[in-house]
Amino acid sequence: MTTIKTRRARPRKRFASRVAAVLAIAAFALYAVLSVYPFLTMVSGSLKTNTEVLTNPWPIPINPTFDTLVDTWNALDFPTLLVNSLIIAGLSCLLILIIFPLAGYAFAVLDFPFKRVLFAIFVGALFVPGVTVLLPIVILDQQLGLLGTPWAVVLPIVNGAAPIAIILLRAYFSSIPYELHEAAVLDGCSPFGIYWRVYFPLSRSALITVTVLNFVAAWIEYVLPALTNDDPSRYPLPVGLQALLSSNVVQWNQVMAASLLIVVPIIVLFVVLQRYFINGLQGSVKG
Amino acid sequence: MSGSRALVTSAGTPAPRRRASSRRLGGRFTGLLFVAPAAALFAVFGVYTIVYGFSLSFARWNGFSPNWTWTGIQNYLDLLGANPPLATSVRVASQNTLVVMVVLPIAVSAIGLVLAVLLNSIRRFRALLRTVYFLPYVTTGIAVFYAWRFVYEPNGSLNAILSGLGLTSLVQRDGFLGNPFTSLAAVLFVLIWANVPIAMLLYLTGLQTIPESVVEAARVDGASTFRTLRSVILPLLNPITALVIIIQLREALQNFQVFLLMTNGGPVDSTQVLSLRTYQLAFDQASDLGYASALGWMLAAVAIVLAVINLRILRSRQ
Repeated sequence: MTTIKTRRARPRKRFASRVAAVLAIAAFALYAVLSVYPFLTMVSGSLKTNTEVLTNPWPIPINPTFDTLVDTWNALDFPTLLVNSLIIAGLSCLLILIIFPLAGYAFAVLDFPFKRVLFAIFVGALFVPGVTVLLPIVILDQQLGLLGTPWAVVLPIVNGAAPIAIILLRAYFSSIPYELHEAAVLDGCSPFGIYWRVYFPLSRSALITVTVLNFVAAWIEYVLPALTNDDPSRYPLPVGLQALLSSNVVQWNQVMAASLLIVVPIIVLFVVLQRYFINGLQGSVKG
Repeated sequence: MSGSRALVTSAGTPAPRRRASSRRLGGRFTGLLFVAPAAALFAVFGVYTIVYGFSLSFARWNGFSPNWTWTGIQNYLDLLGANPPLATSVRVASQNTLVVMVVLPIAVSAIGLVLAVLLNSIRRFRALLRTVYFLPYVTTGIAVFYAWRFVYEPNGSLNAILSGLGLTSLVQRDGFLGNPFTSLAAVLFVLIWANVPIAMLLYLTGLQTIPESVVEAARVDGASTFRTLRSVILPLLNPITALVIIIQLREALQNFQVFLLMTNGGPVDSTQVLSLRTYQLAFDQASDLGYASALGWMLAAVAIVLAVINLRILRSRQ
């Protein structure tokens, strides 16, 4: 009975699975196009002239030109924006890499008073919406005299990074065999020595994951710099881009060119570091 | 090494345990020193701002006068109904937020799961496709939101594609963000697009932890691919699904930048959500900052309650 059944079912099954495979490939391809569609739009828009961008909605430009990119670069004073963005993103990442691996190590490996309470507070902070504390943060920046400086943006970003950085790094440090810790203790290593010589170097992918996540977050942060800064010479890239769109007649080719200039460094960073980045993210879920 | 392990495993008696732990710790308070920088920063930018904002939600303040006027829970009452124009705008924003809270987690977990299963079943192009599918997550932000805005413009590429396919009835003359009937769906689409990658990656991680023998056993028992997926793999992925849902609910409640940068709530409040309303009360029509704080804390209350419920469910399952 069973043999007859399978023999009858086989041709139909093969046909069905072939249809399923074709459908799956089509779905794959379609979603791949959808995933990169905004970038295609940026590239094509930035290669069009001001008139063509209004008349030709199709991705391939009829008369491709680099003038738009050059014009946008000059109109935005791009080097200044770039330096300001690099300062904000760089300082944020540096502070995050100094502060949170230390905390993650303590929560994963050490034992100390209030450990559970402190950890619960850091994790709980994840659920206070950013917009809820945005106004107090801007007022605090003002009270501390930080308005107009990169610190007005950097310090809230670093603080906002705390929950995810601590959760990720704690999970990663916990997965490091405790025998290594014990061996280092027997060799006479101090707690900081163990952290710095054993745990920090072994956690490359988790550290890269945290760095990439926060570099990108700081790079594209628009609201904080827009609220704490009214000096165009100190604008980072997103605020410069926004200024471009708020002019009376929107020149979409320039907006797309500026968007492209913002996104390209992130894509390069991600593609270069993705092996560590994705491993770090996955490791933190498994752990 | 084996000696130190023996020390730990034989720690049934109190004396060696204490010796081992004091060695391990290098002092009871060393850990606090390690946490101190993070805690100090959090004390200023976390605790202080939370206390400040929470207090302000019980007061009136225009942002300039030196003193607050304490009003108790009046701000909350006004937002909930005592101040009709304000309460109406909050109700509209709540309805839209609710739509986002329902659609976003369902769509993101469904699409993320399908992509993860497909990716997990292929060998060729897997790494390349994973990179491509993950790009929206790392690049999301103002630049990408503007690109989607351009796509949705009246003379943007979405209208061109629709008319090219002969679907002229779907073409939007005012653009997809200009029509109050399509604007919320258009922004939601971008929000889904930006959040699918993290769900996909989480599901992919979950799928890789399922032993092949489990799937193999189901197949030997005669289960079809679909049946295996539904009855064997999906239940094993429940913790991942709970995680995806909690992240997406948080996103639905908190992400106001996508709304701010794509529509700023318009047209006619069709994309108004609670987080954006909070932002506008604080920075756009900054007449009374107490309202902004009160609305922000109502939002926080919802977020915290949902997180607690979700964690309870997650824990009871395990």
